[in-house]
Amino acid sequence: MADIPAEFHIQTVDLTKIYQSGRVEVPALLNVDLTVQAGEFLAIMGPSGCGKSTLLHLLGGLMQPSRGQIWIDGIDIAQLTDAERTDVRRRKVGYIFQRFNLLPTLSAKGNIELAKKIHGNGHAYPYKSEEIIEMLGLSDKINFRPSELSGGEQQRVAIARALINHPAIILADEPTGSLDSRTAQQVLRILQKLNEQLSQTIVMITHDSEAASIAGRIVEMRDGQIFNHHSHLVYEPELEGLL
Amino acid sequence: MESMVAANIRARPARTFISVLAVAIGVILMLTIGGIVSGTLNEYLGRTIGVGADFMLQQSGASVFYALSSATLPAKLEQKLKEIPGVGVVTPILANFSSADFGLVFGIDLASYNEFPGRLQITSGRSSLTGNEVIVDELYARLHKLQPGASLTILNHSFTVTGICRPGAVVRIFVPLKTLQDLNESQGKVTFMFIKAAAAADLGKLEASLNEALPGYKFRSTKDETMLLADTKMPGMKEFQFTVIIVSMLLSFMVILVAMYTTIFERTREIGILKSLGASRSFIVGMILKETVIISGLGVLFGIGVSEIARKAITSAFPTLQVSMTFTEVMTACVLGLLGGALGALYPAYKAAKMDPVRALTYE
Repeated sequence: MADIPAEFHIQTVDLTKIYQSGRVEVPALLNVDLTVQAGEFLAIMGPSGCGKSTLLHLLGGLMQPSRGQIWIDGIDIAQLTDAERTDVRRRKVGYIFQRFNLLPTLSAKGNIELAKKIHGNGHAYPYKSEEIIEMLGLSDKINFRPSELSGGEQQRVAIARALINHPAIILADEPTGSLDSRTAQQVLRILQKLNEQLSQTIVMITHDSEAASIAGRIVEMRDGQIFNHHSHLVYEPELEGLL
Repeated sequence: MESMVAANIRARPARTFISVLAVAIGVILMLTIGGIVSGTLNEYLGRTIGVGADFMLQQSGASVFYALSSATLPAKLEQKLKEIPGVGVVTPILANFSSADFGLVFGIDLASYNEFPGRLQITSGRSSLTGNEVIVDELYARLHKLQPGASLTILNHSFTVTGICRPGAVVRIFVPLKTLQDLNESQGKVTFMFIKAAAAADLGKLEASLNEALPGYKFRSTKDETMLLADTKMPGMKEFQFTVIIVSMLLSFMVILVAMYTTIFERTREIGILKSLGASRSFIVGMILKETVIISGLGVLFGIGVSEIARKAITSAFPTLQVSMTFTEVMTACVLGLLGGALGALYPAYKAAKMDPVRALTYE
């Protein structure tokens, strides 16, 4: 099944997504070839509408491509049914969203443990909820509901939720997009720490070049295609906004 | 772990309350209306058995519910029956429904009626039933504040209370057979007859003899309720009970359907989040069904509680009315209440499970 190098956690081949709007075809992603190695931190940058979110949704198996392959940890999820893609997502992917997407009726702990429950009982959890909560500095907020938490705290809960099942890949969709710069820095440091200390593979999409600068590699997208790769980006505040 | 299902129930108190109330109303309908019907029926049949007769003679096709049968049985059959070997006692009865009392009045021949084990046991006044005399039972007397010697108008005719008997007789009001026949203009006719076998008579052989002697008539065993019920021919009874059950279930079904459907739309984004976390369709369907079962369960419990209070209130306010609430009836209401709710949640659950996760996640 896996004809991709074992060290690649993600590989897309000729990945294309075309939306149908009435009779009009709207290409969102065109022939994207992308590889992400195990333990890599990849940032995807680009202007709004360039196809970043579509790419992330495809990598997470939330939608089916129009064409191409999506290899996630040795499985081409483009060939799978909706139920099978859901199963891969459950076992291998952790999501972090811009708007946190916590369940408002559950406490911080409830949100984290919900992911554990969805994952099922057959999984040997490498982390206890308490360890992750402690690691992310949430111990004193554990019983708070999302509405009682700050943006940064909510995002840390979302990170804990993404981590709890030890996913092969974390997909982060503008994780600092709703945060002030100080809180955004804290969240980015957490992601960096996860990558460096736990070798967690992370794919993050962002508009923010400062956020992208913590990634090991950056790809830039435009008009549904990858047009540039950087091994590393040195953040220069004066260039902000030019991308 | 904090239960998401419980959290959802708590987070939407108005929705939860209305749904619980709807299920409860369904259960109350089933238990109270159904209970009044079956309670009255059971009491009626129980009291019939209490007379201690072995058989009832009726016109062929007549209902065990005397009120529904017309007085078409020739009274002279009494004599013919008495001549059949094995027949001990026969008493003819004319039943008439008194709409003012919402109950039956029996026209009886007191002498032959009192030869049965379930004879009228007079506790006050005297045992006499001729002309315009009436005997009523204690419950009826208490309800209408009657004493021996009091006057009582029933069937637009004025009677004088001669005696008050113990409750438990087939009906609560007894008048002379002849008087009721005159009032009804059904001279020489009765509704049915109770037959008691002679001591040591073989009931099987006697039944065969009765059928042979009077072919074309119905001899109904009055020995047990099951046999009477099995032969019940009350028109519309089953349809009525079925209607009550369907209306109750529909109520639970519709309210849960609307409540859960609305909730699903409210929670579109939450469902998207669950899907992004890898929740399968069965997980989402299970979550919604669990929520519904808990809501329906609360409704069922609330309904049972209110029904019990209603039962006590009804029997206290109307002592002559019986409301049955057996374990089987309660269990039936439980199952139907839960089933109605679960069925109502199926479509919303299906819709939720089928949601496109990307659209759901961007839903505002």
